[in-house]
Amino acid sequence: MSTQALQHSSSQQLASFVRLNEGIKGVVLIAFQINIMALNAILLAHRAGEVALGFGVISKELRTLSVELTALMQALSSDAYQAVNLISDLLRRERRQRLLEATRGQLAAPLPALDTILAERLQVFQNRALQVREVRLRLLDRLEEARKLCQFGTAISRSAKIEAAYGREYGRALAEVSQDFDQKIQAILPSIETLCAGMQRI
Amino acid sequence: MKSATTIYQEGSHRWVVIARDQAKPGFVIDTNEYLISRDGDNLLTDPGGSEIFPAVFAALATVVDPMSISRLFASHQDPDIISSLGLWLDCNPQIRCHVSRLWDSFIPHFGGDDHSLQAIPDEGQHIPLGLGQLEAIPAHYLHSSGNFHLYDPDARILFSGDVGAALLPDDHNELFVRDFDQHIRHAEGFHRRWMGSNEAKLDWCERASRLKIDMMCPQHGAIFQGDDVMRFINWFAELPVGLSTFRHRRHS
Repeated sequence: MSTQALQHSSSQQLASFVRLNEGIKGVVLIAFQINIMALNAILLAHRAGEVALGFGVISKELRTLSVELTALMQALSSDAYQAVNLISDLLRRERRQRLLEATRGQLAAPLPALDTILAERLQVFQNRALQVREVRLRLLDRLEEARKLCQFGTAISRSAKIEAAYGREYGRALAEVSQDFDQKIQAILPSIETLCAGMQRI
Repeated sequence: MKSATTIYQEGSHRWVVIARDQAKPGFVIDTNEYLISRDGDNLLTDPGGSEIFPAVFAALATVVDPMSISRLFASHQDPDIISSLGLWLDCNPQIRCHVSRLWDSFIPHFGGDDHSLQAIPDEGQHIPLGLGQLEAIPAHYLHSSGNFHLYDPDARILFSGDVGAALLPDDHNELFVRDFDQHIRHAEGFHRRWMGSNEAKLDWCERASRLKIDMMCPQHGAIFQGDDVMRFINWFAELPVGLSTFRHRRHS
């Protein structure tokens, strides 16, 4: 691949990682909202007493899920930050590589010392590219973990709806909360899918 | 491609100008680089921006092993002067760059570190080259606040950075000024706007007029030689520069 093509590819990667970081911010915000909702739901279940014991357990699970999701997103964000740094460095190196290759192209006679420098720089460049690939694979693993967590969240938010039906005079309030849970979890899933798809395209 | 032309030679002591890049992109200002060699020691003045590095390096390779250039001299901190430093360091990590102490923590944004940058004190200093030496002469505020010229007393050549620079039309390719009056028209606007201080200018003119100069070599445009050197110093001394002229033009 030519240096120019590499540069274009690195620029695309940089844009993808920056987009990933923006997407992560959206998921973290929803996870925070689930956490607050779950806390309120636990208090509501406590007030409702025995009729909402199951609902209380599910709310605690959702709260734990939101904390785990936030931690996962923070790890993802840290990986994306590392990837942005690596790719920025890669872009800088690519530019220098391009200029040094242009220098070699303009020389009237070969200069072995310059050839050695170019070969050394190419080696460093390839190592950096390998590091970016490793970070990308780690990101994909974490995104897969996040997707499974959200699928689990979908299941327990449905259980919350069922539990709400047993809430007697608190039934309506519990049903509204369980509906909100479901909507929030459903909002996260497409975001995670988009992030996964974005990473797989790189 | 730029070409290398020897403008002075006395034994191993040599000045070569790297100039006139016909292939450079139009949006990049043309620059002159000067290779000063003596007793196997090589120094390059204002090595230029990173975009023209290939052209400078290739032209140098026609007259010297570019890897043997051990020192750079940067008159000031502008990108067209020294943004190629990182590339020079890629080629030779041992290269040293002499520059005003004001810029030794700014230029590393282009490349290099406290090891590769050699700070010149405000009052200037001698820079050894082979068995001889060059003089870093203060030219502060012309135009940069930390600015030096490089004088070679044995060759009687002054590298004058942006002082004496001219923005020549594409069809003006001469290396030396042939017709001072014609040439200076291309220098006037540049000096009025870029040179910020009449006081600094007069101080420089007074000091430069006491030096023995056969050639005055700017970073842009053509080289002044013989009587044209003093003609330039006198012209520059008379030229209004700085903020007052800028204000005047803005309101007129």
